[in-house]
Amino acid sequence: MTQRISKYQRFKMMNPILQFFKFIYLSIKIMIVVAGGHGGTRKVD
Amino acid sequence: MSKIVVLGAGISGHVAASHLRRKLSKEHEVVVVSPNSNYQWIPSNIWVGIGRMKSKQVLFPLAPLYKKKGITYKQAKAITFHPEGDAKESKPYVLSEYVFGDKKGTTEKITYDYLINATGPKLNFEATEGLIPGENKVYSVCTYGHAEHAWEGLNAVIQKLKSGEKAKILIGTGHGKATCQGAAFEYILNVEQELRRHDVRDNAEITWISNEYHLGDFGMDGMLMSYHGMTMKSSEMVEMIFEDRGIKWILGAGVNKIEDGIAHYENLDGEFKNETYDFAMLIPAFSGHGFKAYDKNNNDITEKLFKGFMIVDADYSSKPYEEWTVQDWPETYQNPNYKNIFAPGIAFAPPHAISQPRQSKNGTAISPSPPRTGMPSGITAKLVADNIIDSIKSGKESLHHKGSLGNMGAACIASAGYGMTQGSGVSITTYPIVPDYKKYPKTQGRQLGKTFGEIGLAGHWLKLALHYAFIYKAKMRPFWWLIPE
Repeated sequence: MTQRISKYQRFKMMNPILQFFKFIYLSIKIMIVVAGGHGGTRKVD
Repeated sequence: MSKIVVLGAGISGHVAASHLRRKLSKEHEVVVVSPNSNYQWIPSNIWVGIGRMKSKQVLFPLAPLYKKKGITYKQAKAITFHPEGDAKESKPYVLSEYVFGDKKGTTEKITYDYLINATGPKLNFEATEGLIPGENKVYSVCTYGHAEHAWEGLNAVIQKLKSGEKAKILIGTGHGKATCQGAAFEYILNVEQELRRHDVRDNAEITWISNEYHLGDFGMDGMLMSYHGMTMKSSEMVEMIFEDRGIKWILGAGVNKIEDGIAHYENLDGEFKNETYDFAMLIPAFSGHGFKAYDKNNNDITEKLFKGFMIVDADYSSKPYEEWTVQDWPETYQNPNYKNIFAPGIAFAPPHAISQPRQSKNGTAISPSPPRTGMPSGITAKLVADNIIDSIKSGKESLHHKGSLGNMGAACIASAGYGMTQGSGVSITTYPIVPDYKKYPKTQGRQLGKTFGEIGLAGHWLKLALHYAFIYKAKMRPFWWLIPE
């Protein structure tokens, strides 16, 4: 097992307070990507 | 009055039926034909497979909901397609066989004005010798039933580990052309966390086996993503996670045979190897259901409707990987030969893979098939429903709603461990799903701002929130349509 994620990074990843704000941020960002619309790719003559 | 028949009540079929019923007046009939009496929220099967959720938490019966909402439900399976009717029936129909109740075993010609084929994939376990869920110590999490069995198998291994014995766990893909690597990725991280929770992690060797050429390919050719202000490859992110959790990996592996505790595979170098295990979860290949189609004179016209999966408005001409473009991918999911038939979700035949195809030195194809699960299934089902609704209301064909996977974003919230304080998730968004190398030539076909990754507790909360939100939506509770697909 190689420690690729430092203890400080892990603390940030698992801290409920920091992660609460991350949850809000991610929810909004994902909503923008997902609900941001979709469409075709072919040109219409 | 129009009659719309929806085959399948998974994510795609149920989304289509729900929107059709909500937006069409009661004079129009919406019929759902599905052999499975339950709706299941498949993404949460991962948690059933580690014993942290019961299957009843991820499913609900369809019949009461459909009765309440005015959707006709037939618990039956489609057998043959007759898009021109036949000598006795002038309307197009699908011959279906009831699988439950008084009518079990009887067939019915279910006529339609519009047909939505949302039958999804056949889980093609037969394509790999010995890959039978629950036998040979190998399991699946593709359905809630499979996931329950997987938990029984995993729990037995955990008890063995607790007694001080060692065990090998193998998780990944069970065929050279399998897809859905994301589900296996979630499961391996959840299993790893559960072993730590039970304090037996040190006794277990966990190995990832996959047909991917790189880690983090996920059947999407991998991706370049934003991660903490850096630009990182998905392969680097997955490698970081696996190394950090002590998970080994075998790549470019086409599993071709399973024996009790032994997975045989061929690698891209053409070598035939095997890997022993005490518990395995391997995703099978997906295939079409092998439906046949006939014209009004009873001639076989299967090639007009099916190419494995259903033929839609894609460019199926054969061309090398370098010439693939996003324009090859379908926009409306309409069958070009029968304009009143549509196939959203996983039921449509993709024009080609997304990942670069590769073969072993022996000529065996070993590379992921394209994934089309979850969110894209819902989006494509909704746009098909919207086009049918517009066509019915305007009295002429309307195909204004389009959604190519080359112009659609996707969110993959991969659970990396269950728990309100100890859980974790890998949140990845991708735009577009099919890389557009012309539009985004310097970022491997993806828009960086919309393609990003995050790891942490928030990811678990997000996946849990989506679980409850989508089951709420599927149950068509008040204002369910406000929740996007």
